[in-house]
Amino acid sequence: MAESLQPVEDPNRAYVGAGTPPVIAPGHTFGTVTDKISAIVLTRRTPLGWYAGFLLAGSFAFLLLVSLTYLVTKGIGIWGNNIPVGWAFDITNFVWWIGIGHAGTLISAILLLLKQTWRTSINRFAEAMTLFAVACAGIFPLFHTGRPWLAYWLFPYPNSMSLWPQFRSPLIWDVFAVSTYATVSALFWYVGLIPDLATLRDRSQSRAGRVIYGMLAMGWRGSARHWHRYDTAYLLLAGLATPLVVSVHTVVSFDFAIGIVPGWHTTIFPPYFVAGAIYSGFAMVLTLAIPIRAVYNLEDFITMRHLQNMAKVMLVTGLIVAYGYGTEAFISWYSGDKYEGFVPMNRIFGPYAFYYWLLITCNVIIPQALWFKRVRTSVPVLFVISLIVNVGMWLERFVIIVLSLSRDFLTSSWGRFAPTFWDWSTLFGTVGLFVSLLFLFLRFLPMISIFEIRTLLPEAKVSDE
Amino acid sequence: MTPLTQTADVAIPELKPMQQRLLVAGAAGGVLSLVGALLDTTQFLQSYLMAYMFWLGVTLGCLALGMIHQLSGGAWGVLIRRPIGAASRALPLLTLLFLPIALGLSRIYPWMNADLVAHDEVLQHKHVYLNAPFFLARAAIYFIVWNVISFFLNAWSLEQDRTGDFRFARRMQLLSGGGLVAYGVTITFASFDWMMSLEPHWFSTIYGVIIMGGQGLSALAFLTIALVWLSRRAPLDRIVVPAHFHDLGNLMLAFVMLWAYFSFSQYLIIWSGNLPAEIAWYLHRMETGWRPVAVALMLFHFAAPFVVLLSRTVKRQPELLVKVAAAVLVVRIVDLWWLIGPEFHTGGIAISWMDVVLPLTIGALWLVVFVSQLRGRAILPIHDPEFDEALGRIIERGAPPRTAH
Amino acid sequence: MKTPPTVYGLMAEFDDPASVVAAAERAHREGYRCLDAYSPFPIEELTEAMGGEHTRLPLIVLIGGIVGCVGGYALEYWTQVVAYPLNIGGKPFHSWPAFIPVTFECTILVAALSAVLGMLALNGLPQPYHPVFNVPRFALASRNRFFLCVEARDPLFDLERTRRFLETLSPREVSTVAD
Repeated sequence: MAESLQPVEDPNRAYVGAGTPPVIAPGHTFGTVTDKISAIVLTRRTPLGWYAGFLLAGSFAFLLLVSLTYLVTKGIGIWGNNIPVGWAFDITNFVWWIGIGHAGTLISAILLLLKQTWRTSINRFAEAMTLFAVACAGIFPLFHTGRPWLAYWLFPYPNSMSLWPQFRSPLIWDVFAVSTYATVSALFWYVGLIPDLATLRDRSQSRAGRVIYGMLAMGWRGSARHWHRYDTAYLLLAGLATPLVVSVHTVVSFDFAIGIVPGWHTTIFPPYFVAGAIYSGFAMVLTLAIPIRAVYNLEDFITMRHLQNMAKVMLVTGLIVAYGYGTEAFISWYSGDKYEGFVPMNRIFGPYAFYYWLLITCNVIIPQALWFKRVRTSVPVLFVISLIVNVGMWLERFVIIVLSLSRDFLTSSWGRFAPTFWDWSTLFGTVGLFVSLLFLFLRFLPMISIFEIRTLLPEAKVSDE
Repeated sequence: MTPLTQTADVAIPELKPMQQRLLVAGAAGGVLSLVGALLDTTQFLQSYLMAYMFWLGVTLGCLALGMIHQLSGGAWGVLIRRPIGAASRALPLLTLLFLPIALGLSRIYPWMNADLVAHDEVLQHKHVYLNAPFFLARAAIYFIVWNVISFFLNAWSLEQDRTGDFRFARRMQLLSGGGLVAYGVTITFASFDWMMSLEPHWFSTIYGVIIMGGQGLSALAFLTIALVWLSRRAPLDRIVVPAHFHDLGNLMLAFVMLWAYFSFSQYLIIWSGNLPAEIAWYLHRMETGWRPVAVALMLFHFAAPFVVLLSRTVKRQPELLVKVAAAVLVVRIVDLWWLIGPEFHTGGIAISWMDVVLPLTIGALWLVVFVSQLRGRAILPIHDPEFDEALGRIIERGAPPRTAH
Repeated sequence: MKTPPTVYGLMAEFDDPASVVAAAERAHREGYRCLDAYSPFPIEELTEAMGGEHTRLPLIVLIGGIVGCVGGYALEYWTQVVAYPLNIGGKPFHSWPAFIPVTFECTILVAALSAVLGMLALNGLPQPYHPVFNVPRFALASRNRFFLCVEARDPLFDLERTRRFLETLSPREVSTVAD
């Protein structure tokens, strides 16, 4: 899949007529890109702002630790979920985080297969984001089991009770999907890092740096034969990660759609969940990329082209999500089933109507502004929209999960859900953990793939006339 | 060397006699179909609906792929821009060909049966939506939307070729953005109306998406065949290289996987839920004599093309790829047969000679339009803003570029 | 320069990718076979210049995928139908539609592991020591310099003649690589 007519797209050239900015600012060489990106990691002095940010994020991560400790000692009764709303913030947060992770894989794998060279500046930190998001996501189902120390029962292994996981349950599919996803994302990320780790090894001034980066680089020396196999492996991984990322959110959607709860059991869920995941993931990449490029002066590498393209992906996936809402509402009525027909009514007029309308505003109405080029080229506006979409996508999962459970078939068993302090503290705690991990990543690993940026430079071309 | 600005007519003299032969074939098929319509009207309409949906799929699939390419760019689309345009210009013909369906509503759709509706609460509920006037009004809207999009995209593309003005490219992009949204909405409702309502109790929110995926696959398979054919003649013979086929092969692989993904998702969700209103549709298709068709679809609509298209060799050899594409078109028809047929023959497989003649007849007429539209223009969009980036280097050198990997 | 006790090979340093590709091509034409080139990013033409090479990696990944696929399905079949059959919601023991997701995940998992481990194994990594690192300037191979190394085990290798040959390729510098 590697080749096509070279070059399909000259990344350093703007499109004719469209006035599109380039992928890398002009004037860079192999040396300057290497130095500029690696300097952020290899500098001896850690900027004061980094400490301040890490401390702030870390305090929220500490809040997560407190919340989870309290949860383990008291039980999940400290959360607001109770029958009939057995799934609430926990699963909402789980789906939200998993979804955010999907953009990383999409950028690194799918855009690679589609030969979209602009991915190169953002794939590394998007993949890091994937890993951290999956870590945050995993916390919720793990602790929602109530006894996380027995979670290994979910894996198939010969045990003294001769019991096996029940493979007809989507929750077991989830275990396989999420753990495969975490493993493959980590592999993909690490394989992508190897050549850059070798660069850090060779350029580090400190002994500790040389030893640690050296061990992680595994003796990479940039041999042509190695590169050849490396490229093949990377492409194959991308080819495997692409259907994988689709399957993960599909399986997550099966958690709902396989059952018969009205509002959960509908066939559009798989593609619509995948689109929603990419939507929220790109929103999160924008939320992170905009401040990072400003703080680390990376405007040369994360150019307006990147921001605009991500805005376009958000517009497209947002429209697919809106298509999902629309078809679901229409079929609820068309089905002639009274429980199905009640679902949109309950959303639009029921006790949680405010959240439904907020979700529609955040996910469907406001992002339509992205149709306009002036919006896509305005960094502050993009940042605000990305935050709004993050909130909207969280609300979407909340609406799907809590509204359907709170009012299903039997009026006598209807109920309400209200989050407790510990619901909120766990949610914000994972945000803190996520940001803390990102701070560590930015400090110790190159946030942009140096070797791939080198291949984008004009001087990297061998047979160009 | 033939200059690229020549119309296809001049460059490829075979096109004219081909168009005439197709017209003769279409006329002969038309007579035969007419006989069929008189002998067994219901069977005729069933086969007609299948054939119609197939060729509509190729047409709209091409239109949608063209719009996607306007927005995404890429070398794959520049080469097939003209075949895409010519295919989408078959829409006026398809609008006309909708007439038999419009006239035969009461023989095709159970919700037209007043007796049945009177005794069925659910169908009464749906009557607001499923009734002849509203059905036809919706169809009119779909055709207006599709024809308008196709007309302007083609007109602007022609203007751009003539004037070389890049403003037309911008306009086409804008129209494609809105056009894709319009396509998504209209084809969803069209598939609900024309196919899902054959079993009026049944509903599935992913149905429109499955139909869209199928249309994309049909269009890609057709375009692959068209490109292989063109690449054996001047002027494309010195421009098309294995990498172009490789791109199309990969896209075809992606659509094969998407079709399987959508179809399996629908099956798994409905099978697990096992609700009476939903599962009935599958019972008709998998627990009757139609079961072998379902199994054949799994094998030949997914497994076989998937495995074959994984191979690099197949994707880079036009002789092999064209066979895969032809096979894909055949299974596309089988898929539509399996979606439509069980509503008319609940007992089990029933195949009529019209199931073969009608796709060929509509196909011949469709190809007459396709070839005639192809003839009037240059075979490459030489003033496409992406043209130089995609193909300029090859043409300057007059030889295929390095494609080794 | 003093001759080190044993010589791994001779290494020429270049400024840009085009020169190292040209040099590798020349060396290959000259008859040298134990060659390797080092670059800070993948250069397709470089492998071709040294005679090209087909990697078995896709085959390894394919086998891995098949193993994962068959293994995943077999695990489900055996546990659900043979070892511990349970009636869940009236679904058949052998519920093939429900077995697809896990089969798929296992396929991807084993194939991805095969890709990474296969790549590392074929490349002989991790490798704690390699003679090329003895050349101090080789640290630039991960920044902006390109190297071509003719190894001493090549039958045509001769310290003097090979050095003279490498000098004709207009390198920035030619250095001896100690073993």
